Amino acid sequence: MIDILKVSKIFETKSQKIEAVKDVSLTIDKGEIFGIIGYSGAGKSTLIRLLNGLELPTSGEIIIGDDSIGALSKKELRKKRQKVSMIFQHFNLLWSRTVKENIMMPLEIAGLKKEEREKRADELIDLVGLRGREHNYPSELSGGQKQRVGIARALSNRPEVLLCDEATSALDPETTEEVLNLLLEIRETLGLTIVLITHEMEVIRKICDRAAVMEDGRVVEVAPVLKLFQNPEHGVTKRFVRDDIDDEDTELQIESIKKTFPNATILKLGFVGTGARAPIVSMLVKKFDLDINILSGNIKNTNEESYGHLYIAVNITEELLYAVIDELSKENVKVEVAQ
Amino acid sequence: MIEALKEMFSFEHVKLDAVWQATYETLIMTSVATVFAFVIGVILGLILFLSSRKKGRTNGPVYGATSFVVNLFRAIPFIILIILLMPFTKVLMGTIMGVWGAMPALIIGSAPFYARLAEIALKEIDKGVIEAAESMGIRTLELIYKVLIPESLPALVSGITVTAIMLVGSTAIAGVIGAGGLGSLAYMVGFTRNQPDVTLVATIVILIIVFAIQIIGDSVAKAIDKR
Repeated sequence: MIDILKVSKIFETKSQKIEAVKDVSLTIDKGEIFGIIGYSGAGKSTLIRLLNGLELPTSGEIIIGDDSIGALSKKELRKKRQKVSMIFQHFNLLWSRTVKENIMMPLEIAGLKKEEREKRADELIDLVGLRGREHNYPSELSGGQKQRVGIARALSNRPEVLLCDEATSALDPETTEEVLNLLLEIRETLGLTIVLITHEMEVIRKICDRAAVMEDGRVVEVAPVLKLFQNPEHGVTKRFVRDDIDDEDTELQIESIKKTFPNATILKLGFVGTGARAPIVSMLVKKFDLDINILSGNIKNTNEESYGHLYIAVNITEELLYAVIDELSKENVKVEVAQ
Repeated sequence: MIEALKEMFSFEHVKLDAVWQATYETLIMTSVATVFAFVIGVILGLILFLSSRKKGRTNGPVYGATSFVVNLFRAIPFIILIILLMPFTKVLMGTIMGVWGAMPALIIGSAPFYARLAEIALKEIDKGVIEAAESMGIRTLELIYKVLIPESLPALVSGITVTAIMLVGSTAIAGVIGAGGLGSLAYMVGFTRNQPDVTLVATIVILIIVFAIQIIGDSVAKAIDKR
């Protein structure tokens, strides 16, 4: 659906050249929710603006559907933007228009007749759950409602691709959840491709299928989301994953636990999918007759799987430890001995 | 001193029909010039705003030229502008006297001023909203009348209120050199015939007009602002 081929973007000011995007290549499939995560200044905002031609690449090519974005004439690009729409961190609604008028704006630009615009806007108001609010002005809405208007507006011309520019970063956690669920829902019902940029790993974890990690203009890691969490390779990815599951707290605890139980072995059990639901602790207790201290545990849900880890302290001989590791590997549980 | 004040407040020389006529002329000059200043000022303001927004081959020179013309006409004192424009006015309006003889100078004197206010109003528009409109595939003309003007309207209205009040003052200056209106009444009748009561009445009417413009402008700006 979307092919980004060796794309670079250099901004030139009088005093300096800034290379915002460096030699990025990505392929995004149709119907996929693809996340791009990075700290601010990593180049993700520029990258997403290259996809709808708000910025043009200095070199490289971007192909969406059958069109190469850089090769389109101005008129063709305007037409293409009706099929590659965008939502924004600060919603960017027109304060001078009501909810319904905002939603109808792309339809006016596309040249639809008045009755058709009204009809389509009504459908979208129902889709995003804003019935009863259609004649309010944006200033009378909450942040979450404003983003719903933004989403309805972006969907009005039945796009093939939806670009989300930090769409939940200005929202509180609860509203973020609502907006993310809405995005999942419209992907299911409308089958569109969603590309989102964010600096919150939580957003990637909750709705993305695959994600790219950006640092300093480059894509440093691309993988299915579950793999990013289980097996982050790059340092930046590890930081994002650790921030999301608050591992630092656990590490602190381990230090103090070691002092309290100097003879205990501390194990980190990592599990994914089915392993996350199996009663492994009681199995260990029954089968090996162990005394187990549970130190900390964590389970997170991605849009398709669960993954997590559990820290336990046990008094165990080396021999028995190998038996335990063998047994747990049958349940797809990865065991690490914390030092 | 007391005598002079007594004479001023006697109102014995005030002829109502002359005051009405002068008020009418001031209102015509102010309102027609305000309409023209609004239209020309918004167009110039849009040119300034759009050409300063993005780097392009033509934008730099367009901005430079427009900005130069605007600054030039704003720098000329109004009384000199009237005199300077006289040959042009004669050709265009067929006269340099009366309400219509004052019109070119009033418009050329106020439109560049309003153009700067319009440019400021346009610059206040949220950049994100313009970007959102562009992400929908909007054409420049649609951007102007669907986004730029509606989103800056309260500031444009406040700006035209200031300009209209300035124009009331300009009509009074023009009145002194033959344009008619309340300025003319105050000077030609009040001053030259030594009838200070007439000057006082002209002043009071001008104040009422200025206050009315301010109140109307403020309430319109408030009513259209949905932020």
